[in-house]
Amino acid sequence: MPWSRIIFTVLFIASIGLFLFNVYRLIAMLCLGRWENRFDHLLARLKGVLLFVFGQKRVVRRAFGVNHFFIFWGFMILLGMNSEFLIQGVFPEFSLRFLGRVPYGALLFATDIMSVVVLAAVALAVMRRIAFRPKYIEASRDAFLILGLIAMLMVAYFGVHAAEIALGETDMGGWMPVSGALAGAFATSTPEKIHRSLNASWWVHALALLAFLNYLPYSKHLHVLTAIPNVFFRRIDPVSVPPRLKFELGQDFGVSKVTQFTWKQLLDFMACTECGRCEDSCPAHGTGKDLSPKEMVHRGKLNLFINGGSLLNSRPIDTLAGAPREASMVKPLIDGTAESIPEKDVWSCATCGVCMEECPVFIEHAPKTLEMRRHLVMEKAEFPEELLSLFNNMEQRFNPWGIAPTDRAKWAQDLDIHIVKEDAPADYLFFVGCSGAYDSRARGIALAMAKILDRAGLSWGILGTEEKCCGDSLRRLGNEYVFDQIAQANVAQFKKLGITKVVTHCPHCYTTLKNDYRAYGAEFEVIHHSELIERLIAEGKLPVHARANGRVVYHDSCYLGRHNGLYDAPRHCVEAVSGQAPAEMERSHGRAFCCGAGGGRMWLEETEGKRINIDRTEQALKQNPAAIASACPFCMTMLEDGLKDLGKDGDVKVKDIAELVADAIE
Amino acid sequence: MHIVVCVKMVPDTTLVQIDPKTNTLVREGVPFITNPFDTHAVEEALRLKDRYGGKVTALSMGPPAAEMVLRRALALGADEAVLLSDRAFGGADTLATSKVLSEAIRRIHENEPVDLVFCGLQTIDGDTAQVGPGVACRLGFTQLTLVDHIYEVNQRESYIEVRRKLEGAFERVQARMPALITTTREINTPRYPTVPGRLQAASRALPVWSNDVMKLERAEIGLQGSPTNVRRIFAPQREKGEIINGLNGAHLTAADCMLNKLYEWDILNAD
Amino acid sequence: MSETRRKKPRGKARLIEGKCIACGDRCQASCPFDAVEMSDGEPVFILTKCNGCGKCVKICPSEAIELIYTPDEQKILDEYSRKNEPAEIESKADSAWKHVWVFVEQTEGEAHPVSWELLGVGRQLADDLGVELAAFILGDDVGHLAHEAFGYGADRVYLIDDPILSRYRTRAYLEAGLLLIRKYKPEIVLMGATGLGRDLAGALATELRTGLTADCTGLSISLADRLLEQTRPAFGGNIMATILSETARPQMASVRPHVMPKPAFNGERRGPVIQETLSISEDDIPTRIVEIIREKSDSTVNLAGAHVIVSGGRGMKGPEHFWMIRELAELLGGVVGCSRSVVDAGWLPYAHQVGQTGKTVKPKLYIACGISGAIQHLVGMQNSDYIIAINKDKNAPIFDVAHLGIVGDVFDVLPAIIEKTRASLNAPAELEQTAVGMEP
Ligand SMILES: Cc1cc2nc3c(=O)[nH]c(=O)nc-3n(C[C@H](O)[C@H](O)[C@@H](O)COP(=O)(O)OP(=O)(O)OC[C@H]3O[C@@H](n4cnc5c(N)ncnc54)[C@H](O)[C@@H]3O)c2cc1C
Ligand code: SF4
Ligand code: SF4
Ligand code: SF4
Repeated sequence: MPWSRIIFTVLFIASIGLFLFNVYRLIAMLCLGRWENRFDHLLARLKGVLLFVFGQKRVVRRAFGVNHFFIFWGFMILLGMNSEFLIQGVFPEFSLRFLGRVPYGALLFATDIMSVVVLAAVALAVMRRIAFRPKYIEASRDAFLILGLIAMLMVAYFGVHAAEIALGETDMGGWMPVSGALAGAFATSTPEKIHRSLNASWWVHALALLAFLNYLPYSKHLHVLTAIPNVFFRRIDPVSVPPRLKFELGQDFGVSKVTQFTWKQLLDFMACTECGRCEDSCPAHGTGKDLSPKEMVHRGKLNLFINGGSLLNSRPIDTLAGAPREASMVKPLIDGTAESIPEKDVWSCATCGVCMEECPVFIEHAPKTLEMRRHLVMEKAEFPEELLSLFNNMEQRFNPWGIAPTDRAKWAQDLDIHIVKEDAPADYLFFVGCSGAYDSRARGIALAMAKILDRAGLSWGILGTEEKCCGDSLRRLGNEYVFDQIAQANVAQFKKLGITKVVTHCPHCYTTLKNDYRAYGAEFEVIHHSELIERLIAEGKLPVHARANGRVVYHDSCYLGRHNGLYDAPRHCVEAVSGQAPAEMERSHGRAFCCGAGGGRMWLEETEGKRINIDRTEQALKQNPAAIASACPFCMTMLEDGLKDLGKDGDVKVKDIAELVADAIE
Repeated sequence: MHIVVCVKMVPDTTLVQIDPKTNTLVREGVPFITNPFDTHAVEEALRLKDRYGGKVTALSMGPPAAEMVLRRALALGADEAVLLSDRAFGGADTLATSKVLSEAIRRIHENEPVDLVFCGLQTIDGDTAQVGPGVACRLGFTQLTLVDHIYEVNQRESYIEVRRKLEGAFERVQARMPALITTTREINTPRYPTVPGRLQAASRALPVWSNDVMKLERAEIGLQGSPTNVRRIFAPQREKGEIINGLNGAHLTAADCMLNKLYEWDILNAD
Repeated sequence: MSETRRKKPRGKARLIEGKCIACGDRCQASCPFDAVEMSDGEPVFILTKCNGCGKCVKICPSEAIELIYTPDEQKILDEYSRKNEPAEIESKADSAWKHVWVFVEQTEGEAHPVSWELLGVGRQLADDLGVELAAFILGDDVGHLAHEAFGYGADRVYLIDDPILSRYRTRAYLEAGLLLIRKYKPEIVLMGATGLGRDLAGALATELRTGLTADCTGLSISLADRLLEQTRPAFGGNIMATILSETARPQMASVRPHVMPKPAFNGERRGPVIQETLSISEDDIPTRIVEIIREKSDSTVNLAGAHVIVSGGRGMKGPEHFWMIRELAELLGGVVGCSRSVVDAGWLPYAHQVGQTGKTVKPKLYIACGISGAIQHLVGMQNSDYIIAINKDKNAPIFDVAHLGIVGDVFDVLPAIIEKTRASLNAPAELEQTAVGMEP
């Protein structure tokens, strides 16, 4: 055995060993997280992998994603040849030729072509980072190193194959047009020189390959290993509903140590490609706040690696099941250091969910933020001071403002509205929500709804003073304890009253009643008013008259659109009353920009950076609308405030779709 | 340092409304809460504990349901709580209330000397601000009402230095301990309970001292021990909101009207 | 008339729906038969135990309990009532206690106006009872106040003048007050419901083991039984209660400042001054005043503790107009607040913001100028004692919570009110006349 083979064999075994060990450590780190079942819906999961990994569906949503598409597929193809290459290093007789001449040839051909494509893609990626870098992409050393390694692999590949062809050592030269062409460069060289060059190229290729293998786990290119499982284990349920907690002594609530996340949440940290798409679309980051979902994931990963490493090292026996010692946590998760997440950022998130919608590898950012909020609120009682009155009001008076519960039906006092009782049921319960009941502006929506429901001749009623807040803000702000009480009380009340259909005009009530209450045994149907109105109009039950009221631009509520997929119903309502489809802002539908109120941000002061609502209002004003249509009372407040701040409240109105429709009823 | 803090369960009177037709109090749906002033008293006691170490005991006299205000105090960080509950204590005015509270504090004191007692300045139902001074007097503790800041507690020399809110000024006072302090709302912002705190508090057994335990003279407690007696209750004359016109040159009359209100409401004084 | 020998029927107690105020279990405490259970603050009568004695009916301050009878019982009762039993009027109080006393509260030799207001109402009470009105004055070098007390209606003055009383300290004043009251036994003692007055009254009443009614807004004598009827708000001002102290003496009340009219001053009046000496030393007093800190009107805005807040909103149109807000606030001894949009626009710093994400305030008076009253603002200020709103738009939600709403332009109304307030501060009497003159 020639010495070079011995050296290579040793290197090969060492690096494969090291690689496997690294993979093992990564899995061991995942095992430090809590259990969560992500092994259901296997078929859907597989389908997702086909679509999103092999189809790169989300990746190619952005133009530059095509570049990644080629790198990805280049990689897949090169994987075959590179395996052969490595094995040949140890067993020179090995060859994939057994596949048959044509398939083998095809593989060689594809590899040859793909290598050029990848080289071009890498060049493009480098250019992008140097010459026209978007601000959400980092020009890190890591990135250049990896791109360099890939380029080196390609160059060396051609070096090897061109030399082989030049030396006539292969009979497959015809299958490798690019290498074949390059072989021409050796035309004047002596075979010795070519041999030396072959050798050199071979070693470069071999070393680069092994280096790549072992550099992966330490770089953002870890996603090469983790993206596929992460897509496989993604959330299948379209809405992200936080898990219900059990309130028992000895339990901990929320997450303050990275290992309190579930294994899937930890896998998220490892899967980030640092593509920066989440950061680019995040309304908080986009308005100058420090919070960046990408940075959060990145810091989560650093925190995991530091703590995970030390925890794993503290185990008496290095097995997956070996219990690490708690004491070896070295970095708190929520803190001011570079490997932890600043407390301030935990509160900046509007849980708008656009980061999750954008992430090509299905990382779930907002649920992690929520878990940290839960910890801060429930374990530490540390939160921005504005929330103190909110929490107390909710607990004692069941509305965020602390207004008397006896005033809850005041908006309806001049109307003859049926109050749903056990012995006085109705087909539809109109859940008015705190805004509709108390906020003088949003009362207009409640009144519009009353008109619509009456005109459609539906049997409907309200809970009157017995209605309580749905608890949405509590839950998004991490006050699960009080939310839990409210949710239980509400579900029990609905059950007692035998309610089967609930209509609400507030997306926050909507998602909470519909999705969050499921874990509390809610079985009633929840309908957003846009859905109901759309249906009533379509069925001809509402005599609306389309009027040309000028240009209407529609703003998507995050909890209606992204979280619950209701994009069309409200638009159809606008269309029915204005005679034309609403104008669209640059960011709409799945990419819509939050109004700034979600995730309990409605109750928080916004001091960092620009106000999200102003940004969104400016986006709306770019469409020169006469009115902005919204389908959420919080959005309405935010946009109206935005208009006021911009001095445009005289020119442009914000209208809820129900108000638009009620106005158009003959 | 051992601190006792007195908390009372009260109906949330800010939610009470007057039925415009019958002119009676509408209490329906009005929850019972911890007297808001007392939440500041509890907070200040806990802050002193955080600062100097020691122990906080919460104390309340009331019906069995009043244990909820004690559990809240426990959830926030109080170490012990005692409920004083007996039919014989019912119907007490401030004199009888201060009797029961002070005797309870005396019992606690005998077991484990008390350095400070905290009370809210007043309650939102009785509104008297008399229980604090009453308890201080009966115990012979230094009485410090209207405290809106605590500078320091000197345990070695057994004094406390506080700021009292006077009309238009503040008074910095040094006082011998043991002392009884009644707190204003401005003294602090009460903390929020943690969930483990709440669960812990909910799972604890609360000692309830009835008069079998306290063994107080019937003539000094409850209805019998109360020299004041409510003879009659009626709804106050309510001023209804008044909207006046100040447009189109009517601003001068409107300003006069407003000025009259300023006198009527005692913002401006005729003297 | 053997019929009337029949036992007087007793009936059963019943709660009258909606009248209970959850006064603190008085009915339960009064029932000798343990027939009352409390549920959510209200009584539930156990009819098998109720003896119909009517104790709860009598004790209930809000007349929430009645006795119900069967029709037969009712017949017998009606007969009884025809016989018209005279009500027993007989004072069980110790008649050694006599005269009406008023505490003259002073700081550095200057009397608090409430003291003179009390002399006014005290005069009325003393006259109704046919007794003397006395003032008692505690302090250091405060003899001159006796003259004033006579001028405002006192017949007699009790005085303790001692350097140890130079500044108010509970223990020293308590000892002095006790000395006088124990020695001279007044039947009524009135004090101002000020911080000082309430501090002292609570201590005095406890030492004297007597009743004290807090923060009264009305005082009168029930002539039938010579008792002081003390009327005061309770339940956060939602109800008024008339309170008696039937047997314990003295009957003590603290009285809210500025509700009783100040009597006219008559410099001619004279009377006896009875002086006592106090025999306590500095060592007996557990407190030492280190420093008096005058309220500084520095840049820190104390919205939470403010008595008056004048707030501006977007309707003020720009920072250059906030001088009006500042000026009015200054005139009324208040501070400047604002709505969030004013902070957003950079007209005022965040510390001034009132509302959901700003400060929650509860001043005596809140004046909202050019503020529409979005719910986020309302929640921060709607518990103020009085609210004045000035807004152009008569549909502005701020008017829903205002006690006085002025539909007008802030740029007209504010200068007018500033001018009138300033004028009235400079010449109050004159202005009162103009104000009266305005009446149609
Ligand atoms: C309409 C009405 C009017 C009344 N008027 C008078 C009156 O004029 N004079 C009078 O003597 N009584 C009066 N009472 C009775 C009195 O209000 C209370 O019931 C009495 O027990 C406590 O007084 P407070 O609530 O005013 O307490 P405050 O003196 O205002 O309370 C000060 C502090 O003492 C402590 N405290 C008070 N009560 C308790 C308790 N039960 N347990 C623990 N700590 C406590 C708390 O720390 C509280 O913040 C009245 C009751 C009613 C219903
Ligand atoms: S949920 Fe929205 S606000 Fe929060 S991090 Fe993601 S994109 Fe940003
Ligand atoms: S979290 Fe997802 S979207 Fe954000 S940078 Fe990472 S991979 Fe990209
Ligand atoms: S005495 Fe009257 S007000 Fe008091 S609890 Fe009983 S019924 Fe209610």
